[in-house]
Amino acid sequence: MQDKQFMRETLTDGAKAFQAGKMNRRTFLTLCAMTGFATANVLAGKAEAAANEIVMWNWGGQSEECHGGAIGKPFEAATGMPLRFDTSGPLQGKIREMVDSGNVTADVCDADLFDSIALGPTGHLEAIDYDVVSKDKTLPHYALKYGVSIILYGYAFVYDTEAYGDNPPNSWADFFDTAKFPGKRSLYKWANGSLEAALMADGVAKDALYPLDMDRALTKLKSIKDDSLYWGSGSEAHSMVINGEVSMGMVWQNRGKNIEDDSDGQYKLVMNEALAMPGAYIVPKGNPAGREAIMKFIATAQEPAAQLKLLDCLGMTPSNPAAFAQIPENQQAYAITSAMNIDKVAFNDPVWWGENGGDAVNAFLDAIS
Amino acid sequence: MNAIRKKINPGWILVAPFLLLVVALYLGPIMNILWLSVTDPEPGLSNYQKLYQSDTMARIIWTTFRICVVTTIFSVFLGYWIAYAMVHCHQQQKNYMLAFLLVSFWISILVRTFSWLMLLGRKGLVNDALGGIGVISEPIAFMRNELGVLIGMVHYMVPYAVLPLLVNMQSLDMRVMNASRNLGATGTQTFWRVYLPLTTPGLVSSTLLVFILSLGFYVTPAVLGGGKVLMIAEYISVQLLVTLKWGTAAMLAALMLLGVLAMLYIMSQFMKLSTVFGGSSS
Repeated sequence: MQDKQFMRETLTDGAKAFQAGKMNRRTFLTLCAMTGFATANVLAGKAEAAANEIVMWNWGGQSEECHGGAIGKPFEAATGMPLRFDTSGPLQGKIREMVDSGNVTADVCDADLFDSIALGPTGHLEAIDYDVVSKDKTLPHYALKYGVSIILYGYAFVYDTEAYGDNPPNSWADFFDTAKFPGKRSLYKWANGSLEAALMADGVAKDALYPLDMDRALTKLKSIKDDSLYWGSGSEAHSMVINGEVSMGMVWQNRGKNIEDDSDGQYKLVMNEALAMPGAYIVPKGNPAGREAIMKFIATAQEPAAQLKLLDCLGMTPSNPAAFAQIPENQQAYAITSAMNIDKVAFNDPVWWGENGGDAVNAFLDAIS
Repeated sequence: MNAIRKKINPGWILVAPFLLLVVALYLGPIMNILWLSVTDPEPGLSNYQKLYQSDTMARIIWTTFRICVVTTIFSVFLGYWIAYAMVHCHQQQKNYMLAFLLVSFWISILVRTFSWLMLLGRKGLVNDALGGIGVISEPIAFMRNELGVLIGMVHYMVPYAVLPLLVNMQSLDMRVMNASRNLGATGTQTFWRVYLPLTTPGLVSSTLLVFILSLGFYVTPAVLGGGKVLMIAEYISVQLLVTLKWGTAAMLAALMLLGVLAMLYIMSQFMKLSTVFGGSSS
């Protein structure tokens, strides 16, 4: 992935020079050919992010527009360092591989807070510098040694108003009740959220979820296994609902508004008992831009203005309490920490997930396959 | 010098640089994986013990094996049919068929996978049409289950099955079949007793090709299986990327590698592998 990015950058720079007339056409074409051919050679070399820019490793989508506008612009205005993206998705395994290989090309990963518990103590992450980053600008339990929550996302569900119009479902207990609410369900494939939802459906209070009772959760999940599908990506969750494959679907809450719009209101989001997940910024050990610069960058992302822009652009909810009161009217129903929802939602425990997540995912996969 | 030359074919000197490259870039990483499977998280065979201790592993391996066998049977059967038609039809029709085959061969696996969802999904073309004319009251569950995975995989694998068979059938001497008819055999007899045995190398190579490629399938089961059909490749990727159990992933990868090698070995006991891979049959 790194070398691909290097090639892309070489080509972009080449294209700019060509456009500006600094490079003739033949040289540019040669460059094109070489970047196409030279992949194997570059593997041996070092394709690293330059020290005068910040590379954010995230999941793609509208990142240029959203993260660029919300955090990249104010940060560049203050420091002169532009924000670039690697959109290949910072999964735990990839971060570990990148740091182990000694070829670190990303400065900050848009990851989960539980990743910081899994990767921090093994020496794969830089500790957050709480002299620069503020512990008060996020929720109390979400400022950890190796990661700090910037935005929250969540697992909520949508239901088909045509199927359950008169007596709509309003809790995970309804979601798991296929006798009262017949129809197919969709859940997240990699255990997160699905386990918590099953426990809440089984009667566990939303603030007493952790440590998760795995046996109880898996028994509950197996009870609707024949009626369940499992999705692995946001777009898959979206299409399972929009294509009418399920009548109730667990989704990432920030997609709720899109789904309501795309289905002309046929599907409706339920925020009651949604599970709030701390999305976090974590820094791979030895990031190219250096620790000082990246901590400043994270501090910029903590500002209410940046977080509200991300909410507007991506539906991700601010984690900075100072921003809660400023959540606009049209986002109130969808945001996790809005006055309307904050008391209804359950909060994820990143420490439990960081320590037990691997085994939980495997037990979950075993139960559903 | 001459003594060495007698023992080592000088051709090896020409091949040597490439051989070294292959060893360095290909065998090196594989050795690394094998090494990981006995050292992560701790040295020993604990990863391999999971094979008989954990029901999950056994079930995933069984699912993978079952799906691969069924896919191979259907793909090779359909492939034989298509290749046979292509060899024996008019040149122009053959060109059309080859074009269609190659077009579907070249289309991205993602596109081909998702198009099945549109055709056979719960609210797909087929279910809508059948529901519309009143043949069915509930949509048929073609997709998001094992049937869906099989449909998607067979569709993807048919071109792989056709191409080796086509090459094999084209090289047959048709006078042999004529002789068989001339000596009094019926068409059916000629097919079963002369044509089919002559195409065995093609059958074996397309079976091997399809089966081995099926073992590593990732996208199709993940999308069309609705999360409930877990095959080895997807499990390996989860262990690498999500749960960080690299030892388990390496163990499964090693197991697949050994499985493929064992299969090639067993095949080699029955026939010369060089014929299968297009070498001379002498």
